[in-house]
Amino acid sequence: MNELSKRKWNRLLSHNEFYIAIIIVAICLLIEVRSGQFFTPNNLVDIVRSGIVPCIFGIGVLVVMLSGGIDLSFVPIAALAMYITNSVMLDTGFSGSIVVPFLLAGGIGIACGALNAVVISKFNLPTMIVTLGTSSIFTGLLRGVFEAKEKTASPILMELGSSKLFTAQNADSGLTSDMPSTLFILLGVVVVTFILLRYTTLGRGIYAVGGDPGAARRAGFRVTRIQFFVYCYVGLLAGIAGVTRTGMSQAAHFTSLLGTELTIIAATVLGGARITGGVGTITGTVLGAFLMTIVSNSLVLIGVPTYWQQFFTGALIVIGTGISVYQASKKYRGSLSLDERAKEELG
Amino acid sequence: MKKVLLVVLAVLLMATAFGCSSAPAASEAPSAGASAAESSSAEPAADGGASAGASSGWKIAMVVKDNVNAWFARTDEGVQKFAEDTGTDSFQVGPEEIDAALQVQVVEDLIAQDVDAICIYPIDPTTLEPVLAKAREAGIMVFTQEATTQESKDYDLEPFAPAEYGATLMDQLASEMGEEGTYCTMVSYVTNVAHNQWADAAVARQEEAYPNMKLVDGSDARVESEDNLERAYEKAKEMLKKYPDLKGFIGTSSNDVPGICRAIEELGLSGKVFVTGTGLPSMNESYLKSGTLKQCYLWDPANSIYALMMLAKNVLDGQTVQSGMDLGADGFNELIIDETDPTITYGKGYVGITKDNLNDLGFYF
Amino acid sequence: MEHSGDIILKAEKIVKSFGGVHALKGVDLEIRRGEIHCLAGENGCGKSTLIKIISGDYVADSGSVTLNGTRYTKLTPIESIGEGVQVIYQDFAVFPNLTVMENIAATQTLMEHKKTVNWKHYREIAQEAVSKIGFSIDFDERVENLSVANKQLVAISRALLMSAKLIIMDEPTTALTKKEVAALFKIIKNLQASGISILFVSHKMDEVYEICDRLTVFRNGENVITTDIKEVDQKKFAYYMTGREFKQEQYTCAHPGETVLEVQDLGLPGAYEDISFCVRKGDIYGITGLLGSGRTELALSLFGMLRAKTGRILIGGKQARIHSVADAQKYGIGYVPEDRATEALFLPQSIENNMIVSVLDSYTDKNGVYHAGALRRLAEEWRESLHIKIRRLSDPVSSLSGGNQQKVVLAKWLASDLRVLILNGPTVGVDIGSKYDIHQILRDLAAQGIAIIMISDDLSELLPNCNRMMIMRGGRTVCEMDTSSTTEREVANIISDTAARC
Repeated sequence: MNELSKRKWNRLLSHNEFYIAIIIVAICLLIEVRSGQFFTPNNLVDIVRSGIVPCIFGIGVLVVMLSGGIDLSFVPIAALAMYITNSVMLDTGFSGSIVVPFLLAGGIGIACGALNAVVISKFNLPTMIVTLGTSSIFTGLLRGVFEAKEKTASPILMELGSSKLFTAQNADSGLTSDMPSTLFILLGVVVVTFILLRYTTLGRGIYAVGGDPGAARRAGFRVTRIQFFVYCYVGLLAGIAGVTRTGMSQAAHFTSLLGTELTIIAATVLGGARITGGVGTITGTVLGAFLMTIVSNSLVLIGVPTYWQQFFTGALIVIGTGISVYQASKKYRGSLSLDERAKEELG
Repeated sequence: MKKVLLVVLAVLLMATAFGCSSAPAASEAPSAGASAAESSSAEPAADGGASAGASSGWKIAMVVKDNVNAWFARTDEGVQKFAEDTGTDSFQVGPEEIDAALQVQVVEDLIAQDVDAICIYPIDPTTLEPVLAKAREAGIMVFTQEATTQESKDYDLEPFAPAEYGATLMDQLASEMGEEGTYCTMVSYVTNVAHNQWADAAVARQEEAYPNMKLVDGSDARVESEDNLERAYEKAKEMLKKYPDLKGFIGTSSNDVPGICRAIEELGLSGKVFVTGTGLPSMNESYLKSGTLKQCYLWDPANSIYALMMLAKNVLDGQTVQSGMDLGADGFNELIIDETDPTITYGKGYVGITKDNLNDLGFYF
Repeated sequence: MEHSGDIILKAEKIVKSFGGVHALKGVDLEIRRGEIHCLAGENGCGKSTLIKIISGDYVADSGSVTLNGTRYTKLTPIESIGEGVQVIYQDFAVFPNLTVMENIAATQTLMEHKKTVNWKHYREIAQEAVSKIGFSIDFDERVENLSVANKQLVAISRALLMSAKLIIMDEPTTALTKKEVAALFKIIKNLQASGISILFVSHKMDEVYEICDRLTVFRNGENVITTDIKEVDQKKFAYYMTGREFKQEQYTCAHPGETVLEVQDLGLPGAYEDISFCVRKGDIYGITGLLGSGRTELALSLFGMLRAKTGRILIGGKQARIHSVADAQKYGIGYVPEDRATEALFLPQSIENNMIVSVLDSYTDKNGVYHAGALRRLAEEWRESLHIKIRRLSDPVSSLSGGNQQKVVLAKWLASDLRVLILNGPTVGVDIGSKYDIHQILRDLAAQGIAIIMISDDLSELLPNCNRMMIMRGGRTVCEMDTSSTTEREVANIISDTAARC
């Protein structure tokens, strides 16, 4: 093996995505062996379907984490956007373009994100504290001001949720599953975010700020503006995810959404995003989210007893994120070790 | 850009401030309502077996699980009607969200207010136990619903006897399945007492009456929906994949049946797999109409809570609780007392919901 | 040297204060095209503040900066960069999470106001930049995985891309090995040859002499002198920086007392072998050798942090069992580690708490109540006798300069009843004034009868301050000598030449 390909191989080995992919393959094989039902067309469609909303959330979380922050308020933002949008659609009996509810929810999300951004940048407070506070504000708005009640989805969102790209059928059992059209929403989010992070100066600025805000400032990145963008973008994605979920579950059940933030953050960390910022990829995040989805949707297939399912999911989070963090810490070699330095000095 | 942001911020902050200030206002509301009720107490109270003379003296609180769910909006209607009918100072309170610790605080507040009786849907009997014990020590009577295991209570009134409800669900499912085939049960959590009692009763009924039906083996016989529509849907799909011969589901949490129905429809199993269980009209309307769901069951919480409060008032009035007592609400005209535990009582409050009676129930949520 | 009035930077009468404290009280600085100019001064003299004003990070309260003939009173970072000023900070201001390529190329595309990223272009830019200083590196490696020297080279390549005319290097050699320093100096000389001016900020005298043409010294926010480097000798240089005369005579111990610590055939496989020496009351015993020679491991063994496998340690003539730090402390052995920030101090805690932490037990009565008043008086005493420059004893230790931090570490040990004090690199990162103070303290302690072991690779520190020393190489003693009968050159030879013996 020549030097270059060896380096590339080493780099691959040091990437989290690689390990997550291996874990996913292993778990898929385990499920297949245990149930014979994993690699069936309809099951794969089901998994993709269940992964759509967590993935959109995860990508939002990734963007914040890359900038070195953390957002605990994205789920309440999604709940708020989902509730208001659905109520407006219900009350007005709206039946026009499907873009409208997304614009509305996205707008609400951006407004909430902007509130986070203003507080964070103006008062220079830790992002965790701010978003913990605003998450209570958003939940409070929902319950206090809007006196939110669980509602069924409005017709237009019902239609969104039930529209399908194709139906996959398991030849043996005859079972069918629909691939929802909302997959395109996820694909859109992935593509836009990928281009943003990879090919725009703004996106690279997010990485730079997450790597070292001081250095970013000196290099000429507008740190405050970048942070502002980041929180608005997460808000936008949260709004989109909220509406998507309403459609897909045919109901604006926000209470079952609240409280899922940590699972999604865990999935993002599982996917290799560094909680201290600056490191993480969309591939990793998507893999992390799907790993969580696969596991939580296959506990019955694997045959994990009902009583043990929470334990199993929890153990996966701890072990998976543990591996991620361990990987990251191994990479923190910093300068040369003592021995290497001594050798160098001796010449 | 900056100005727009400032406006947004200002609006949000104002909204928040409004949100905060409206909270205490809301808690004022009960007493305001109560005083209105008092002022109207000159009118003769409706019956319910109460002695009208003592009626206006009691202060009875109904503690629900949260303030969001439409279910508890309906219970509030029952509380209001009870207040109007009997002239009793009665009101409904509940925590911000379904959190047992918050519900404990609500009860603490009521102890401080020195109510005469607390009616409660305990979120978690274990967590609530100490505070309910404290309430009783303070001379407050405690009446529970959906919590037969609660130690510290004077009486528990269940909308129906679990054995009877479970048997009814099984009878319905069996008739749909042609009394043969494999089935499983779904509960919110395996730790939820009521849901598991119903499921147990349904299984017992099957073992006794339908020998050709079979429960799924092992722990998959009872799956958890985590009280979440999405999870119910995902779990149902998983079960149908793992057990190709699965033909029936009994759902106990209100999220179970619509979730299972969606899975059945999507997998193309309508007419081949059957489901029944607890279900809200709004969440099941489309499945009832499409035929995936033939019948689900519910009780009118306005009636069951009305009856619970009536039971509380009767006890406060000094009446002895005996079987056949009329609590003045539909399905609660003949009280049943549990054979082993005399503090547990039952009504017959559930109703079957079909596509035909969907719009004539008097409640829709 | 030619400099025909070709001035690239001229800072005049710069005043800057922070909350009433005058950091700069009207300083001047002038840098000619193509010269390597040294800016020296003790910590807190205003060097860093001036750099930040030249880079546009701070705005001066008054005064002006003239760059390439254009006079600025309120210089912005963009203007500064536009005039070709580049600062290589001590932390290099690199992005650890990004690749070498992106670190080098990002700033340039940012200056060009590009909205999108062209990775191919990035690679070209990076290649061009790296070729300017002629080093090879994997462009796709994350910077956090590089050695300190390579990180610095990345920062320098990036600076060169910005068509730098003046590169300011803030203490660039702090974390480099000698070989790396030599490589860096070669690059600096090359840059000079291509017409770039360098402002070299440092207080390491030998380096300043080696590389710089001219010298400006600040003290307490004021100019002390600007002169050709040839005009000042080491003594003057130290005087300019500190305003004090340092007379450091060779330390001798006329009447050594009884042996306090004796080491016999001590060995720890993989670290050191067959080490024997003894330290008497009044001795300042030096141990030197390269990193990896076993010197640090030996010190750690004496302090109980490592356990020797063979041989024995005698304290006061009796065999000592030193298996833990607590054991070592029981025998009255104190240790001042190399990395004081993480190993010896509780940075966020107050100066007072740091000083008294090792004696808390002896000032605590049987009920567990400690005597706050007595401890405070003790802390005050140490502050006086160690010349620790602080405002309040309750300030956190992290607010102190390296030299003063080191004094607090010393105080911590002096507070306890000490027989042997081991110091590892006692003046690394410490400025001249504090260095002198610390040496003075060590001499006083030795005179009081404490046996002192000083481990250092700075021979200019070791030779005058020790009366005896030992040289280690590859885990073995190669030489033990009286310092009065040797020279730095001779010792340096023995250290690095594997064949030499004394």
